[in-house]
Amino acid sequence: MADTRSPLQSKTEVLIVGAGAAGSWLARRLAMAGRSVRVLEAGPGWKLDDLASSQIWARRLRWGGPLVETTGRNPFGYGFNAGWGLGGAALHHYGTWLRFDPHDFAMKTRFGRGRDWPFGYETLRPFYDRVQRDVGISGDAGAEVWRPPGDPYPLPALSPTSQGESIARGFRALGEHVAPMPMAILSREYRGRAACLYDGWCDAGCPIGALYNPLVRDIPEARSAGAEFVTGAQVTSLLWDKGAGRIAGALWRERDGGVLHRAEADLVILAASAVHNPALLLNSVSSRWPRGIGNEHDLVGRFFMTHAVLGIYGLMVEETFPHLGVSGAQFSARDDYAKARGDDEAAFGSYHWLIAPAAKPDDLLGIAISRPDVWGAALDPFMKRAARHFASMIAMVEDLPQARNRVMLAEPPRPDSPPSVRIEHAFAPETLAVWSRAKRRGLAVFRAAGANEPWSSGVNTAHMMGGTIIGRDPRDSVANEWGRVHGIPNLFIAGTGLYPAAGALNPTFTLYALAERTAEYLINHWRDHVPSG
Amino acid sequence: MGGSDDRAVPAGWTRRSLIGGGALAFTYLVAGRWRRLTPREARAEGAALRVLSVDDARTLEAAGETLAPGAARAGLVHYLDAQLAAEPAESLLILRYLDVPPPHADFYRSGATALDRLTGGKGGFTALDASARQALIGKLAAGGLGKAWPSSAPPAPLFHFVLRADAVDVLYGTPEGFARLGIDYVPHIEPLRPW
Repeated sequence: MADTRSPLQSKTEVLIVGAGAAGSWLARRLAMAGRSVRVLEAGPGWKLDDLASSQIWARRLRWGGPLVETTGRNPFGYGFNAGWGLGGAALHHYGTWLRFDPHDFAMKTRFGRGRDWPFGYETLRPFYDRVQRDVGISGDAGAEVWRPPGDPYPLPALSPTSQGESIARGFRALGEHVAPMPMAILSREYRGRAACLYDGWCDAGCPIGALYNPLVRDIPEARSAGAEFVTGAQVTSLLWDKGAGRIAGALWRERDGGVLHRAEADLVILAASAVHNPALLLNSVSSRWPRGIGNEHDLVGRFFMTHAVLGIYGLMVEETFPHLGVSGAQFSARDDYAKARGDDEAAFGSYHWLIAPAAKPDDLLGIAISRPDVWGAALDPFMKRAARHFASMIAMVEDLPQARNRVMLAEPPRPDSPPSVRIEHAFAPETLAVWSRAKRRGLAVFRAAGANEPWSSGVNTAHMMGGTIIGRDPRDSVANEWGRVHGIPNLFIAGTGLYPAAGALNPTFTLYALAERTAEYLINHWRDHVPSG
Repeated sequence: MGGSDDRAVPAGWTRRSLIGGGALAFTYLVAGRWRRLTPREARAEGAALRVLSVDDARTLEAAGETLAPGAARAGLVHYLDAQLAAEPAESLLILRYLDVPPPHADFYRSGATALDRLTGGKGGFTALDASARQALIGKLAAGGLGKAWPSSAPPAPLFHFVLRADAVDVLYGTPEGFARLGIDYVPHIEPLRPW
């Protein structure tokens, strides 16, 4: 299970919990800067050639640890959204990489509701630019009339299929803009990586590395620089050094054998998802931290957010080849992204469209599940027609930060056992009003595109944000703008859990921009956090 | 797809290595020999079930066939049984996405038991004719069974949703299923046998 490069008992300079997008990026950057790095990952050690093209086999890439209870009026779909093993959720993410809108950073200031980020878009812009050069994003910045300032994409847009073109026709007929979706998928070879083959298997992980995931570069380069990745290592809690007033490392258990280990480090980064980061903090109780590390103000786990998801579906007259293309989206439409609207006061929050994702016959986002009412003798004729004429698009709707939506422990803390986690979540009425608005408009777009009797999904969830939010005030946030937990010099958090407001745009590009910003900060300010280092 | 591997399981293989090892194949016991088979082949060859009882399997197969005609011969029950025998972290069931508490075998067992209870006891559902099965499955989908559906079983619409999705997986989610729909599978990496 473990690399053998260094004995597990040895202390490292950096300990990272979680080998997903943020953890793997930081591991690479810090290891290449000369720091000794160990990464503990609960799941298995995937390799690119494990990523078989199958919606059924793709399920191995989702969370396989102890059950996470999902409760509340709109339970969050943890099982579908979470990752498991090297690469984390980024291994099965779709590569829809959008920059957050400037309004997403300043919701409270501009609209008097929700929360602000501790900085604005301009602070993060250079990191978006740097990351997109590193990773390679395909898109057409000029066509995205809504896009904030930034460098053009390094690669031309991906090619659309007839599914994308047919839906774009509907938007244009209603006078709305569409633009190629910016994707972390290569439209051409880039820095030694192969271009996309458009076979629509992104959900199962991209084994050729055209879609960026941590197995493509971050993990191999981190290893080459000396970082050690330990798989099957479930961290149970953080170790508090009372005398030094610092984090001393973490306790972890072997997933199969159950043996408890202690991993010491000068600096610890939690990168185990917006759900398991707060859960680990809450499970780390001591006399100094009776409610969990960093939880003096009962904020750890709160302001958990997801996106409200709506599917719009239809059968087009022309053949659409719905199983081909990319799993994320071919086109973007954001004309109605504004958070507040004069013509609909009940609705507050943004949404955007992900147009023409590839849809396979089966699975949660597949053709058959879009019509659960079709079964029996009607199923086969429907499937045969839909396999050639199906079209779909997804509305991603902003969730508002609410303290009552939270990650918590389902059982009393036990620092030597993996935390039992419960998530409570309900959308605000304003969010559901935006969702309903999107439904009306989306069905109109499909009718304008020529779809007969389009239909739609119920309210679903995608992405996880918040729970360990950043802010300037330690009484009103968990971590500072760099992700350092307030009051603790050597504990950082990385990932989407830091977002104090979620926007509606897919969160991964912002995760990477934040991780790059924190990496640069740690490289330049190491001695501020590890005085003896 | 297709073709079976008749190698007997080497001595010393554990259940875990059979299920979760590098080959990632589904392994079934046929007449005392472990063989790698597709669920369809496993059903055709009468492979032993490891988790589901014969009665529950019959009921689930009949319900799945009602939801997605063709799913029975595609090996729905053997697919479910193989996945229920796996470690939860290695399961390929769509239940994994739905945050349903383990053990997942209970989900299927209690659903099958509920169907039979509604239809006169053990074997009741399979004894119904096709139109009666369809009528009951229709009520299941609509949540129209009220208190007749036992609280010990999964919520009726959820059970309908999951079993239909499982049936769709075996019927349409494989290279063979794509061919049935007349579309190319075009894999990056061929799913390891049997899928």
